[in-house]
Amino acid sequence: MMRAPEIAFFPEASFGAALNCVGIAQELQRQGANPVFICHAGFTGVFAEYGFKEYHLPEHPGSSAEAIADYWQEFINTHLPHFDLSPLEQLPTYVGPTWRAIVETAIAAEGDLAGLLAQIRPDAIVLDNVIMFPAIANAGCPWVRIVSCAETEISGVGVPPYLSGLAPGDDTGAFNTAYAAATRDVHRHYNAFRKRHGLTALPPGTFLESSPDLNLLLAPQAVRYERAEPLNAACFVFLEGCVRRESDYELPRFAVDGGPLVYVGFGSLGAVDTALIKRMLLVFQTIPARFLVNVGGLIEAYDVVPDNVHLASWFPQPSVIEQASLVIHHGGNNSFCEALYHGVPSLVMPYCWDGHDNAQRAQDVGVGRRINRAGWTDASLRVAIMDLLEDAPMRRHLADVARDMQSYPGTSRAAREILQLLD
Amino acid sequence: MRHETRRNVRQNHLALAQKILSVALERGLVPGDHLPEQIFSEACGVSRTPIRSAFKILEEKDILQWRQEEGYFLALGSTDEIGAVIRALEDAENSVAHRILSDRAERRITDVQSVSALTRRYKVPRTSVLNALKILSKDGIVRQLPGRAWAFQPLVDSPAALEDSFDFRLIMEPQAITAPEFALDSKRAGLVREHMNAALGAGDGRLTPTIFRRIDIEFHILIAECSGNRFLRGTLAAHHRLRKASQKSAAIPDFRLKQAMLEHLEILDSLERNQFQLAADQITVHLRRSRIRKPRAANRGIPPLAKGPNRGART
Repeated sequence: MMRAPEIAFFPEASFGAALNCVGIAQELQRQGANPVFICHAGFTGVFAEYGFKEYHLPEHPGSSAEAIADYWQEFINTHLPHFDLSPLEQLPTYVGPTWRAIVETAIAAEGDLAGLLAQIRPDAIVLDNVIMFPAIANAGCPWVRIVSCAETEISGVGVPPYLSGLAPGDDTGAFNTAYAAATRDVHRHYNAFRKRHGLTALPPGTFLESSPDLNLLLAPQAVRYERAEPLNAACFVFLEGCVRRESDYELPRFAVDGGPLVYVGFGSLGAVDTALIKRMLLVFQTIPARFLVNVGGLIEAYDVVPDNVHLASWFPQPSVIEQASLVIHHGGNNSFCEALYHGVPSLVMPYCWDGHDNAQRAQDVGVGRRINRAGWTDASLRVAIMDLLEDAPMRRHLADVARDMQSYPGTSRAAREILQLLD
Repeated sequence: MRHETRRNVRQNHLALAQKILSVALERGLVPGDHLPEQIFSEACGVSRTPIRSAFKILEEKDILQWRQEEGYFLALGSTDEIGAVIRALEDAENSVAHRILSDRAERRITDVQSVSALTRRYKVPRTSVLNALKILSKDGIVRQLPGRAWAFQPLVDSPAALEDSFDFRLIMEPQAITAPEFALDSKRAGLVREHMNAALGAGDGRLTPTIFRRIDIEFHILIAECSGNRFLRGTLAAHHRLRKASQKSAAIPDFRLKQAMLEHLEILDSLERNQFQLAADQITVHLRRSRIRKPRAANRGIPPLAKGPNRGART
């Protein structure tokens, strides 16, 4: 009897990537494959809860829970002020150091990852990350790249630079120069690592090549850029998002009745900024709507919650957004796509990385609005929320977007494309 | 006093009506299906008289339909409709105590409160607030401070509190089973088993976190109350009541809900065979799996901050 094809997913240690992969894996399982997950220590159990087998990269000495907690405290102290800066100003302060951390993570994981792949012997590997791991290229099976931050990850004429928050046609000179300067040293370091493992060097500023087999771009039609030169359709496939199935969400009881439902989530990293969220709660209190706010693990930081607000550490986001009239998020591609998939407008308050690109795009193509972390006032936030709740033309446009996306679910297309690779 | 007793009886019938609807939901009943008194009397573990009273309440609310010489039939069908009715019934039952507890669980009121502040918030007489606080203090949820203030005890309402709750249960629940003279209440066990099987068999999406939570607490209270050690019995049952009072239905993927329910059934199997050590080991595994929590913070290039899962996996 033929065994079911084994597909090894390796998402980066972020919820966006992890949950995109869950969506595709659920569909692969339905189509007869056996998806498994390679995960970073710390994501233990996240995939098992959805019924998938997990293989864990071991923790390294010095990465005890206490050491990681200290690291995070340090990270927050250092970087929280940087999140208020412009994308250009974030290049030396946040983007450069983050690329350094990403490269060091890849180098540290290489040996263990190669060992796990030798143990699993997958028929294909699905990588949802922003950096290449030589162990994947050297595993001897096809590999799939998921482009899940923003379409800007794949450069081209007509597409603004990755992480720039610029619109097509904007002047990119200053950003490109600053990006090259911020990444020069770490890129050299990364290329040396690649060379040691038999991979060719990548051009400056690039840390992940396209797969020769299959690249899946999580960029729905409604937000795609017009490329001067279309991508090669033989190995680049655009998906209408990648929305996973979650258990139904039962609305909690609010102390007030009625009003539209607004979901607020800034990702687990954004949740660390409790001061900002507390300020927002005071504004929410003045709006005739009900707010579900994802506060990550920090619920104990909140003393008095308004009657029209419910806080929780975790929400089954797609099931919640399905019931919402507005989503306020950080521009993570997952949240953005889930809002589009359910025809819900986005109010995007980006704080770093791809959030800037998605915020700009949401505003440009009329599916939401951007609001800056720095400089918002109670009145401007209130107006932004009320305007989006009352914007009937945007809602009609989004209803069309949702219908299109739901007609071509990205998860099943992705699963089909991956299985075709094995034919 | 008589008025108070009548109110209590009505509250009990409302609670039973909620339970009947949960059972109907678990069993996947659809509009037009018959609700035999005997079956619901067995499923809810009460006699037919209170079932009849609860059916009557549901009929008043157009949820059930009475047909002469045939009995009661379900008039509503979808999970959403029935869920909304269950919530509405909870509101009907909404004593001041319930509203206070609910607001505390949502952090809408701080952990120290005065009777005057609560009277203003709920716009009810002072005596109603005092009665409510007395009810809550019986379950150890609030206590009166010297003077006029009342203080809430910690609830199981945050990731850190949940961690502590699992730590506590991992120590106590296996001990509750292995302590000498554990005696399974077979009638109650049969009832819980029936609820679990019905919930598992009801089809995709029917096993909601709220239904799971109700059965989960019912199961763990059963284990606590069957323990041979009187102190374990009291302490654990009180902790489960606190969990119930905390009112949070965690967002758990369907797969884990079903897996956890199957683990409950395996533990019951072992208890019924008097394999107490095996049941204690199984409950340890069950609790370890259930405690796995999402990382508190995760981002690219940065190690996830994940106290719960790592600690759970290693210890």
